[in-house]
Amino acid sequence: MEFNVLIGGEAGQGMFSVEMELSELLSEMGYHFFATKNYMSRIRGGHNFHMIRVADKPVHALSGRPWDLIVAMDDGETERRHRPSLGTGGVFIGADRVGQIEAEAKGSFQDVSATSTILVGLILAFIGADPAETKSAADEPARSALAKGRDFAARWELAGRMVIAPKAGDHCKLDGNQALALGALLGGCQFMAGYPMTPATSILHYFATVAAEIPVHFEQAEDEIAALNMALGASYAGLRSMVATSGGGFALMTEAVSLAGMTETPIVIIDAQRPGPATGLPTRTEQADLNFVLHAGHGEFSRVIFAPGSIEGAIALARKGFDLADRWQVPVFILTDQYLADSVQVMDGRVPTKMLRREYPVFEAGYKRYAITADGVSPLTYPGLSEARVEVDSDEHTEDGKITEDLDLRVRMVEKRLRKMEGIKQEAVMPSRFGDRKAATVLISWGSNHLIVQEAVEALQAERIAVAALHFGQVYPLAPKMARGLSRKRLICIENNATGQFAQLLRRELGLKVNHRILKYNGECFTVAELVEKVRKIVG
Amino acid sequence: MVPVSRQDIAWCPGCGDFPIRATLEKVLKELPLPGKDIVLTSGIGQAAKMPHYLPYSYFNGLHGRSLPLAVGIKLARPELTVIAVSGDGCQYGEGGNHFIHTIRRRLDITILACDNKVYGLTKGQSSPTTDAGMKNALDPQGNLNTPLDPLAVALIVGAPFVARTFAGDPQHMEKVFREAILFKGTSVVDILQPCVSFNKVNTYPWYRERVYRVEEPLRERSEAIRTAQTWGERIPIGIFWRDEQFVCREGKEMFRKPVAEDAVARLLNTKCIMMR
Repeated sequence: MEFNVLIGGEAGQGMFSVEMELSELLSEMGYHFFATKNYMSRIRGGHNFHMIRVADKPVHALSGRPWDLIVAMDDGETERRHRPSLGTGGVFIGADRVGQIEAEAKGSFQDVSATSTILVGLILAFIGADPAETKSAADEPARSALAKGRDFAARWELAGRMVIAPKAGDHCKLDGNQALALGALLGGCQFMAGYPMTPATSILHYFATVAAEIPVHFEQAEDEIAALNMALGASYAGLRSMVATSGGGFALMTEAVSLAGMTETPIVIIDAQRPGPATGLPTRTEQADLNFVLHAGHGEFSRVIFAPGSIEGAIALARKGFDLADRWQVPVFILTDQYLADSVQVMDGRVPTKMLRREYPVFEAGYKRYAITADGVSPLTYPGLSEARVEVDSDEHTEDGKITEDLDLRVRMVEKRLRKMEGIKQEAVMPSRFGDRKAATVLISWGSNHLIVQEAVEALQAERIAVAALHFGQVYPLAPKMARGLSRKRLICIENNATGQFAQLLRRELGLKVNHRILKYNGECFTVAELVEKVRKIVG
Repeated sequence: MVPVSRQDIAWCPGCGDFPIRATLEKVLKELPLPGKDIVLTSGIGQAAKMPHYLPYSYFNGLHGRSLPLAVGIKLARPELTVIAVSGDGCQYGEGGNHFIHTIRRRLDITILACDNKVYGLTKGQSSPTTDAGMKNALDPQGNLNTPLDPLAVALIVGAPFVARTFAGDPQHMEKVFREAILFKGTSVVDILQPCVSFNKVNTYPWYRERVYRVEEPLRERSEAIRTAQTWGERIPIGIFWRDEQFVCREGKEMFRKPVAEDAVARLLNTKCIMMR
C-alpha cells in the first residue's frame, strides 16, 4: 500500500514548508517515505512542485504512479500541469479549498504560514495517521494547526482515504547532501572551502552550521579557484579537507585538480551535477559530468571517482573517500546530483560510524616529501611537527620537492604517480548486485539511479521478467573483478545523460559492450514506472 | 639544504630577486620564532621560485594562487607564520581577485610582491604594473593600459599594513620585511625590483634617482593612499600605513584535535537536520 502526493505552486507559496514539515512528522511517527522536489531557479513565482511518497515498506524513488492527492497552492498552473496525472479516485485540492485553509490560518493563528501546517495535518489524516501520535509528535502551536487540518479532512470526507501503516520504526531521515556532509565528518574532514552553487550549496550550509560547535572550519571563497586552492593549503597544513560544487564551479577548479595530482595533496571533491552545458538547468538533475571529472586537470595522474546511490552509500563513500585520499595522496571525487541532493529518504541500512582520522607521523630533517616507493606513495607529513621541512611544488620536482628538469627523474616521477592506480584498483569498492543473478539481462547503473533501478527490478520480477542488476558506487578506476561474468550477458545501461558516458567507460576500461542504453536528459529523474516500461520494451 | 651559493638558481645575474632573497633569509633567521613554524607559499614566475632557495617548508603552487593556499594553511594552522611571495603578474594579475579578497579575510598573512613591472619568465610582456606606453612583444605600440597601483587597492580594501620597499636598499627591505611579518594582520609589501633582462626603463639607476624614504606611517588612510599613488619623478618607499587598532581574525585550533566521536554520533542521531 502506498500514497503519492504532489504539492504544487509558485516559488514562495509554502510548498517546501509542507514537504519539510510533513517529512519531519512522517519520520517522527515511523513512516517509510521518500520526498523529492522539482523546482525552478527563482525565489518567487514560476512553478515548483514537491512529491512525497508514503508506503508501508521502504521506498527510495518516485513511483511514477498516478497521484492520490494533489494540492495546488496556486490558481491554475498546478491544475493544468498535474491534474491529468491524478489517479482514479484521487483527490484534487485546488485554490478554493486552499483559500479556506489560509483563512483559517489567519483567523485562528494570525499567521498565514500556518497554512502549511494545516495542510500537513490534512495529509496525515488522509493516510489515517493516529491523531494521538500526531499530537505527541508536535508542539504548540503546530499541534493545534495539525488538528485543524484533521478537521478539514473530516469536513471534506478525506480522513482515512488511504490508510498507510507506519512500519519504519525508529530511523534517521536525511537528504543526499546531508548524508555526504555527515560522511565527510565521519571521514575526519575538518576543513571545507566553497562558493555557493546549486545543488551543492546545502553541503556548504551544513558544514558552516556544524563548524560552530566542533573543530571544523568552513570558509566561503571568492571563487571556486580559490576554494580548491584553500582546501589544498589546509590539507597540506594537516587537515583532511574538501570542496563541493556543481559542474560550472568545478570547471574553475580543474587547474587545482591538476595541482592536487602533481603535488599529491589529499583532497575530496564533491561535484553535485546539474544539467549543462554552461548554466544549463540550475535546479534540475543530470549525470553528465562523469567524462568531465574523469578527465579534469591537465597532465596524467591517479584519481578515484565515487558515485553513491543512496543515503547509506553517500555516508559510507564520503567517509571512505577521505581515507583513500590520504592513503594514496590523490584527489577523490564524489559525483552526486540534484536528484540525490534534494531527495529526503529514510535510512534503513547500516552505515559505519567509526570516525576516521588523519595520521601525523614525525620525520627528521632531510625528510623527502616525494620519496619514490614501490607503490608510488611517499611518506606524508605536515609542516611544523619537527625540523623536517615539507616542500611541495607544482613543477616537476625532485624527491625533496625542488624544481627539476632532469628528464630521467621526470619519467620516474610520472610512473610513481600513476603506479598508485594499481593499488587503488585492488581495493576497489565492488558494485552491488541485486535481482535474479542468473538472468540473461543485467541492468547497469551508477550514482543516484541505484534505488530507482532496484525498485524497478522488483516490479519486473513481480511481472515474471527476470533481470539482474549491478550498481557501481565506484565508477573509476574500474577493475575486471568488478564486472565478472558480464561479457556473456545482455547489458542495459541506465544513465541520466544523453550519450551514455558510463557505457563508454565500461567499453574503454573493461572492453564490455553495452547492448542497450536507457537515457534521460530532460532534467528530471527516472520514475520506477517509467523504467519498468522501458526495460519491458527491451526485454519483454 | 644545499647552500644557496651552490644551488642552481634560476634567476638572471643581477636580478633584484637576489637581494630580496638574501634579506628575507636574514630576517626569517632572526625572527623570534622557530623556523619549523614558517611556511612560504608562492605561485609561478621568477620570483615564485623564491621558496626553493630558502630553508623553510613551502607550497609552490600555481600561477596567481599563492594567496588562497596561504589562506588555507593559515586557517588550518593559526600557529604557523605564513608568507606568500610571488611576482606582480602572479599577485596582481592572475591572482588579482585573490589579492582583494585575501586582504578582506583579516588573517595574519604577509603578502610580498616582487614587483619588476614586467612578466620576466615569459620574456617581458606587460604586467598589471607596467608603465603606460612601455613597448614589448605583446604591446608593440606601447602598453595601452593604465598601470595598477596595488598598494592603493590594498588600502582601499582595508589592508592594515601597507608598505613599499626597494630591492636596491637592503637595509630598508630588512626593516619593512621584519615589521610586515611581525605585524598581526594582513601585511602587503610591494618590492620595487628591476628586471635586468626585460625592463629597460625601471632600472636600478632609474629607481635610485627617484626613491625617497617615508620614515613614519601616515596618520590617515587617505594620506597613505595619496602617498602610495605618488609615482614618477619622486617615488616614496616606506611603511605607508600601519593600523595599530586592527583586529585580526581569531584562528581556530583544529590540527590534531579531531572531532569527537560522540559529537558526530549526536549529529547522526538528530532525526532531522534542518537545512534551508
